[in-house]
Amino acid sequence: MTPFFFGSSDRQLFGIYEAARCAPVKGAAVLCHPWGPEYIHAHRSLRQLSNMLAAAGFHTLRFDYFGTGDSAGDMTEARLAGWEADIRTAMSELLDITGARQVSLVGLRLGAALAATIAITAGAKVRSLVLWDPVLRGEEHVRELHLESPPGEKAIKPRPRAPEDGGGYDILGFPLTDQIESEMKALDLIALAPALPARSLIVASHPLPSHDGLRRVLDENKRDQAIEFIADHPPWIELPLGHPLSGAAPVKVLRRIVEWLA
Amino acid sequence: MSAKIVNQAVTIGRRQSLVGIVTQPAGYVPSGRPVCVILNSGIIHRVGHHRMYVALARMLAAAGSQVLRFDLSGIGDSENRLDGLSPLDAAIADIREAVDWLATSKSAQRIILIGLCSGADHALIYGSSDPRVAGLVLLDPSIPPTLQYYCRYFARHLRQPKSWGDMLIGRGRVWNWIRKFLGDRSEEVLESHRIKLGDPAVRAYLESAYRRTMNLGTQCQAVFTSGFPHQHNYRRQILDAFPSVPFEGQLRLDYFDGCDHVFTSEADRKRLFGVIMKWIQQPGFVETLPAATTGEAASAKDLQMQHASHGT
Repeated sequence: MTPFFFGSSDRQLFGIYEAARCAPVKGAAVLCHPWGPEYIHAHRSLRQLSNMLAAAGFHTLRFDYFGTGDSAGDMTEARLAGWEADIRTAMSELLDITGARQVSLVGLRLGAALAATIAITAGAKVRSLVLWDPVLRGEEHVRELHLESPPGEKAIKPRPRAPEDGGGYDILGFPLTDQIESEMKALDLIALAPALPARSLIVASHPLPSHDGLRRVLDENKRDQAIEFIADHPPWIELPLGHPLSGAAPVKVLRRIVEWLA
Repeated sequence: MSAKIVNQAVTIGRRQSLVGIVTQPAGYVPSGRPVCVILNSGIIHRVGHHRMYVALARMLAAAGSQVLRFDLSGIGDSENRLDGLSPLDAAIADIREAVDWLATSKSAQRIILIGLCSGADHALIYGSSDPRVAGLVLLDPSIPPTLQYYCRYFARHLRQPKSWGDMLIGRGRVWNWIRKFLGDRSEEVLESHRIKLGDPAVRAYLESAYRRTMNLGTQCQAVFTSGFPHQHNYRRQILDAFPSVPFEGQLRLDYFDGCDHVFTSEADRKRLFGVIMKWIQQPGFVETLPAATTGEAASAKDLQMQHASHGT
């Protein structure tokens, strides 16, 4: 496991590279994380996924978008277009490190929506795409973020932010500025579904009203993909300390992703 | 933040298995200053809840300090240890490896450990045994309940209609105690993750750790929030819990009323960072006087007087 910074000096990104631990090498994969508090709680599962992929023969790169995790910048400066550019930078970095010619993209929640956008435009560079509990409708995602609250404590409601600080709301300590909220609301993965790469896996562990819309569009367009529903716990949601699944990775989902990619 | 800082990704420890980030001023790094080490709280990786440790590290670095944030083994990106140590012993061994690495790679002579919740407990326990630790920032550390704690606890609950509702339907702490008294063990599974801070052995252990820390001359900044009411609920609880520990002149106390345990509000975080930045700029920590001289002893004495004026 190699932690390192990459990208330009004014947009330093933090990543962790894990080389494939078995031969033959089956490919290279970039993992794309969800937004704000969801990433904090899902970090453990994404690390586990990276570890499992490396054991299955994949070179993997996990990384933090600009303004998130250990990468440079502040969340208030972030834009979705910038995060999409960061995914492209991470893909180039992984291709450069490994000598691979294609990468697979694996995205969780918002990361899945960003990865899908990239996969549609990147063409042959993307070998396959995994959408793990993807954000399908941005409006729905923003509504969910506003309702998320930590367990076992009094509900921590979103707090309005000052307009001079970008406005919007603090969601569990993360700034969802007016700018990024409006960009998130404009996300519509269902509209993009007909253009998804042929080799795409859509896996869901958390039912959403928007799933029906995606199923309909996939059917109408005679796509081979379907939403695979796997009953497992959503790792981006904080469970109370002492809960049997607190800190646990959703092993069934992770196994399915690795098996499908391999 | 105008001062330029740099970040370095590192793997440290005997097996190079602990992943961390060193954040420091881009140019001249003042010598003699303690290096700050920020520890994990619970199982949250080194960025901290709502990325607060990244912001704190950058703020400290912009003010001239070197800062290491790293993941304990098995947390975040760090690998598990292979020596079969208990979680507490493993955490202490990891911190020792990180401090040793800072001593050899960054010429660190003095360390300030910063931790929240379990991180605060790890900081205290490690700091009480290593004279290189010059300072501790303890955010909601574990302290035993006191008589005043229980009085405040029950007074608060008696004023809340929800407590009366819980009482009527058989929920809450009092009913749990009654059930346990009658031999019901069903609540113990959920409670088992909590250390029984009222237990005399736990109290003696913590008291001994604080006493050793004070005897080493370590400076402490403790911040308690009202967001952890099952452990503490007033500012001076630590002093009442350990009346025989000589805290005078070495412990600065703050109590954040209306603040949750993980400083979710940006305003609370700003206030917290302000408290830490002010504490860290004390004469004993900045390089205005050469280290290990009588001058340092004098500045420590000044500091004791300053703290005495705060009533801590």
